[in-house]
Amino acid sequence: MKAKLLAAAAILLSLCAAAFAHRLDEYLQATILSVEKDHVQASMRLIPGVAVSSSVIASIDTNGDGVFSKAEQQAYAQRVLRDISITVDGKNASPALISQKFPAIQEIKEGIGEIQIDFTVDLPPGSSQRRIVFENHHQKAISAYLVNCLVPSDPNIRILAQNRNETQSFYQLDYTQLSTGSNSFFSKVWSSLRGWTNSVGVASLFRLGMRHIAEGTDHLLFLLVLLLPAPLLALGSRWAGFAGARRSLFQILKVVTAFTVGHSITLALAALGLVRVPSRPIEVLIALSILLSAIHALRPLFPGREALIAAFFGLIHGLAFAATLEQLGLGRWERVAGILAFNLGIETMQLIVVAATIPSLVLMSRTRAYPFLRIGGALFAGVASLGWIAERLLGVHNPVDVLVNSVAQHGVWIAVGLFLLSIVCWRYPSSLVYERNEIPRPNTKMRISDIPTATTIQA
Amino acid sequence: MHFSAKKIIGVAALTLIGSSITTSLPDTATSRIVAAANDFLSSLNEKQHQSVLYAFNDEKQRATWSNFPTSFVPRGGIPLKDLTPAQRSAAMALVSAALSAKGFEKVQQIMEGDEVLKATDSGQPARGNNGNPPAPGDRNGPPPGAPAGPPPGQPRNGANRPPFGDPPGGAMFGKDLYYISILGKPSEKDPWMLQFGGHHLALNITIAGDRGILTPTLTGAQPALFTINGKTVRPLGPESDKGLALLNSLDESQKKQAILGFRLADLVLGPGQDGKTIQPEGLKASSMNEQQRAMLIEVISQWAGIIHESAAAVRMAELKADINETWFAWSGPTTAAPGKNISAYYRIQGPHLVIEYAPQTLGGDPSLHVHTMYRDPTNDYGRGLTAK
Repeated sequence: MKAKLLAAAAILLSLCAAAFAHRLDEYLQATILSVEKDHVQASMRLIPGVAVSSSVIASIDTNGDGVFSKAEQQAYAQRVLRDISITVDGKNASPALISQKFPAIQEIKEGIGEIQIDFTVDLPPGSSQRRIVFENHHQKAISAYLVNCLVPSDPNIRILAQNRNETQSFYQLDYTQLSTGSNSFFSKVWSSLRGWTNSVGVASLFRLGMRHIAEGTDHLLFLLVLLLPAPLLALGSRWAGFAGARRSLFQILKVVTAFTVGHSITLALAALGLVRVPSRPIEVLIALSILLSAIHALRPLFPGREALIAAFFGLIHGLAFAATLEQLGLGRWERVAGILAFNLGIETMQLIVVAATIPSLVLMSRTRAYPFLRIGGALFAGVASLGWIAERLLGVHNPVDVLVNSVAQHGVWIAVGLFLLSIVCWRYPSSLVYERNEIPRPNTKMRISDIPTATTIQA
Repeated sequence: MHFSAKKIIGVAALTLIGSSITTSLPDTATSRIVAAANDFLSSLNEKQHQSVLYAFNDEKQRATWSNFPTSFVPRGGIPLKDLTPAQRSAAMALVSAALSAKGFEKVQQIMEGDEVLKATDSGQPARGNNGNPPAPGDRNGPPPGAPAGPPPGQPRNGANRPPFGDPPGGAMFGKDLYYISILGKPSEKDPWMLQFGGHHLALNITIAGDRGILTPTLTGAQPALFTINGKTVRPLGPESDKGLALLNSLDESQKKQAILGFRLADLVLGPGQDGKTIQPEGLKASSMNEQQRAMLIEVISQWAGIIHESAAAVRMAELKADINETWFAWSGPTTAAPGKNISAYYRIQGPHLVIEYAPQTLGGDPSLHVHTMYRDPTNDYGRGLTAK
């Protein structure tokens, strides 16, 4: 008797408490649709009011054991899906259940329980003008409906109109969808190309590529330091004097091209997901590549094989570029357009930097002042690379990054200053310029070891 | 003109000293909030400290807010009832430092309203069974046996309320049951959050340097109209009145676009719906005239102006820049009884804004019970500023 009273009291208690909290006599069903290219994702929240909670609970907990079993949850979710009807362009479509989540019975009794049902509807290919009708008849007598759609994330989809009846049990969504428009092969290709360029944002990726290389000082430093000895001839373990304008330019072109080919290959492979390398070792290897090219600028490590080295380390730098592209979260095929734009941006900026510095290098390399620039540059790059290696490999924080970046920020002025300096060195104190007969020239008949040691510059 | 050199030097020196004093005393809104937060934290004992503090990125605590009474949806942090009077005033001083004068007044009125809800409720004679069955969990339910209809003789203020007794100890409503929590470490540089809320109130305030972000924030009121010391109070009255004034300023063809032909039973983007951007509907402000746009901005400022003045100024500038991309939609009755709130739903949505005003049918008269939401889907919890 007492137990019965207590039970009755408990039920009343829960009824009263619940009514305060939220809905009283309605079963709120709020649906948010999200239109994608080939399907509609729907998320339904069902919140029974207190006054209707017992009937809703009874319809879920069909065996009345006070628990929503997995099977009961599944069955109820399927029932909800049966009670809704969806048409796509006038044709019936069937929703497929993705997931369902149920609160505790007690929460529903209190009016704060929220059932969540997610489902998806496939969209067959159709015309560019599309219409989805979503009707919800679930528990119509006691329900209050809300239906909305999210702003589409696909820029090819534009919502035109939403129409509902007074209770929102009927919801009609009209939208346009580009790129499924025509069935002809040409227009399909065209529209998907347009889709790419829009969705990828070719222009912004081009700019991103430029910015990436401009701000990615380690990539530029590697290239510039590798170019430092490019106008020079290697003599055994030393750098000799000027190798001649033609030969220098050819050498520079070879190095830059090799670097470009190298990083383009791995950028493409990694961006397409064909290669995957963790970024930490890559960053360390990049720092190492700078160290090696700095040493090479001091003493020839790999004379005549600069292009090969540039290509090899280009492969590694490309993997780092891909990591940047990866962060943008582009789809696999969008990446093809993306890589192209991004890489073009990188190349453009790279060429700008090379074009801004090479004339100075070539001019200066004819003078006795050049060793100072070469050695100074190599030492700077060497120290920077050691700092980066320490930071990236061992996690030792040091000011190298800040230092290099602050130098790089004044890159334009440094390039201008370097150019003026090179002109001064080349034109004026004539003692700085090699005498004509002093300039070691490549001689096909002469082996490197034949060049008189007197003409070498002591590095 | 008789300016002696001495005088000029004197004035210059004074100016210099004066300006150096003012620059050496940090007096920005953020520094005041941080100082108030530190005052509050230092007033707490170790255990209270622990219950107040969370990690800045604690997503669970961030989203632990609701329109429900705290007995149904427990909040994180510490309730005012667990604080000494001195700690309590330090807590309220912190909330006040983070808000504008108007914003703080609104918060106090919402809390006052909940106090009224509690008072009118405990004013009821005990009904039915006086035995206290064990309440499930930590939830304090009202005593059982409450009838389903309004009991006779209920005071006016409670007339719109569903009829419930108060649980012993009155632990369901009232000023005691507002919770305060701090996410991250109060700082003038690094981002941190202050949360304050309870029934019908959820302030999520992110402080990031000199910026202050109030989104998402929920305000609500039940009763939305009450008298205290003979003074009639409507905590969300301006929101209602200015919204209706804007609607009334529209011509027939504008109204046709603004008024949606269907019922909106509740908030679309209420608690738990962070970061969603629904397709906007209604009348676009680019189709309004200058005066109507100014009225729209005035409505928006009822929410955007809850935060302290300098943060509100930044936010209002952002929202004004968006104004032509901002939409106004209305659903429900287009009139209100004099001195009462509207019983219609309205929504204002822009690229960085969602405002919803949603009257609740619970209690019978929807003009007396309202929930509102204030969001920036691009900047929930200041993510747009703090995420890197």
